Amino acid sequence: MSMSQGGGRDRRGLVRSPQNLAAGLSLVFLAALALWLTRGLSQGHLNAMGPGMLPDWLAYGVGLCGLALLVAAFVKDGEPLEAWSLRGPLFVVVAILAFAVTIRPFSFGPISIPGLGMIVAGPLAIIIGGYAAPEAQLRPLLVLAFGLTPFCMVLFGDLLNLPIPIFPQSLAGLMPDGWSQKTILRVLAALMAVVAVVIHFAGGRRKDGRDGKIDVATQPEEI
Amino acid sequence: MGDLVSNLSLGFGVALSLQNLGLAFLGCLVGTLIGVLPGVGPIATIAMLLPITFGLDPVGALIMLAGIYYGAQYGGSTTAILVNIPGEATSVVTTLDGHQMARQGRAGVALGIAAIGSFFAGTVATIVIAALGAPLTRLALIFGPAEYFSLMVMGLVFAVVLARGSILKAIAMILVGVLLSTVGLDLETGEERMTLGLPFLIDGIDFAVLAMGVFGIAEILRNLDHTETRDVVRQAIGRLLPNRDDFRQSYKPVLRGTLIGATLGILPGNGAVLGPFASYTVEKKLAKDSSRFGRGAIEGVAGPESANNAGAQTSFIPLLTLGIPPNAVMALMVGAMTIHGIVPGPQVMTRNPELFWGMIASMWVGNLMLLIINLPLVGMWVRLLKVPYHLMFPAILMFCCIGIYSINSLPTDVMFIGFFGIVGYMLIKFGFEPAPMLLGFVLGKLLEENLRRALILSRGSLETFIDRPVSGVLLLVAVALLVVALLPSIRKGRDEVFTE
Repeated sequence: MSMSQGGGRDRRGLVRSPQNLAAGLSLVFLAALALWLTRGLSQGHLNAMGPGMLPDWLAYGVGLCGLALLVAAFVKDGEPLEAWSLRGPLFVVVAILAFAVTIRPFSFGPISIPGLGMIVAGPLAIIIGGYAAPEAQLRPLLVLAFGLTPFCMVLFGDLLNLPIPIFPQSLAGLMPDGWSQKTILRVLAALMAVVAVVIHFAGGRRKDGRDGKIDVATQPEEI
Repeated sequence: MGDLVSNLSLGFGVALSLQNLGLAFLGCLVGTLIGVLPGVGPIATIAMLLPITFGLDPVGALIMLAGIYYGAQYGGSTTAILVNIPGEATSVVTTLDGHQMARQGRAGVALGIAAIGSFFAGTVATIVIAALGAPLTRLALIFGPAEYFSLMVMGLVFAVVLARGSILKAIAMILVGVLLSTVGLDLETGEERMTLGLPFLIDGIDFAVLAMGVFGIAEILRNLDHTETRDVVRQAIGRLLPNRDDFRQSYKPVLRGTLIGATLGILPGNGAVLGPFASYTVEKKLAKDSSRFGRGAIEGVAGPESANNAGAQTSFIPLLTLGIPPNAVMALMVGAMTIHGIVPGPQVMTRNPELFWGMIASMWVGNLMLLIINLPLVGMWVRLLKVPYHLMFPAILMFCCIGIYSINSLPTDVMFIGFFGIVGYMLIKFGFEPAPMLLGFVLGKLLEENLRRALILSRGSLETFIDRPVSGVLLLVAVALLVVALLPSIRKGRDEVFTE
């Protein structure tokens, strides 16, 4: 398999397989955590198992696997740890959190955010998340955000009638009387789509880098 | 036999209603639409699209979901052939010869034979399900808790054997999955287990959240590390319909692939994954000139694709008859059924015959739809493939957020997909495969329930699992599988199968 081509023949030091070491440590940690969390639960007997029995057995099993991996890390040559990127996980997680706290009223301690609905949460997730890629540029992301969000608003809110907040309720007060929620939704979606088109064409069309090459995700053999 | 015909005609009566036909069509279409995006497998696709079925009646919802499933599968094959990126494990094999065919300007033929082979396999698998459904359901009635427990253990062992990479890591993942499933209220005593006092953990971890995190978000994170700039489908697609020569070369592989895939798909523990690999190996062994394989041999597309689709379909059997989901996709189906108030298992067939047979008939309809919509729409799918990844993943990210939020209307669910995304990313970096964990999680609750019940019935004696003949045989098979997988010579062979 070509995945081992990158080496793993790193022989300095005691640790011969850093990947297995990290894997083993995380399993042992997980097992310890589970055992600690279930410490108050009764074990029961085999003929009347308590709530704690199975989780404990499983935790011991996980821990044993972890220990075995730890031993293997010192005995057998194996994979090195791949490089970690911080940018990707950071932006993606922030984007998800931004979506979660703005989609509906949220309060955590002293902070409280009014429910802003999909109209805000969607673009936030796209734009913040978009910066996870090093190639990110603001304008295409804005176009994507303002183009895709109205599509989702109409699809989920209008056509499918899912109970997902679409726009902040304070916005409804600004609209002419007699407009139903659906009408407001459609008007807002149309407005956003127009904005998307405007941004797309504003600032000149630069057809740069259109040589047919784009970035694509490659699949490693392991998945 | 008469039963089979009358049941199927009941099913087709349901599936061919105008509304259900429309839903099957829509499901196939959106399933392919999302599934064709590189780096989005069927699990993430279904989890993302689950909410759009909520407003429907149960039959319609399941028909649509089945359509989404087939669409996602076929979309994965399209990506595999055109861009050399398998959307999921089962289409890895298709990249080998399918993409080579595309490079030779025969992408259309590869897509065509994949669709036709899949359709044939789907037709056979539909009949297999209809024929086996009733007898297996009767079998389920003699299953007690001990047998269920042993069957699930066998399924999990099977998943370990099938997982790639280290067996130890696969076992660890299964255990972690079962461990995660024990979070939440204890079924019998009502005590909270490992909830950290957090109210939203009382009901346990939601399967869709875990799946979306580990397969949706973690995939995005991993892909971000592995993007590269390259040409995407510059070649012409070419004609779509295979000619007489192509058919002559591929009808036998299709037949064999269907047989292999359908058989393996029935096995619990995601046997369907093995289908394409097995079919490819068989075709290569049987070929007069095996050096053609890997250089655009049409048999290398026809066989595995048929096996893939046959397996994808027969993996419904354990779910519909025994109520045991054999893989993560089927677990999502369980989730969808539960939302509509249906508990999968042997009683579905007797209590909701329309649903049961309607769904089976709609599988065939779905396969036909795929054939009809995919070939003419190939041009559109190709355009989708030209979207650069740095613009595609933010869209996927938002769809994930909206999808998961609308399942339970809980912002905490959205946060959790971020958390499990990071966890999944770490697992990948540490060389763990997330699929066995998901299966462990899926079966965990059932496993514990049946274990406890069996032990109560046997008054705490573990011998019950060996003394009862069916259960004993199942456990024996499990042990044998594990031993075989650990034998050094077999292990080498197993690695070879997966690296081909």
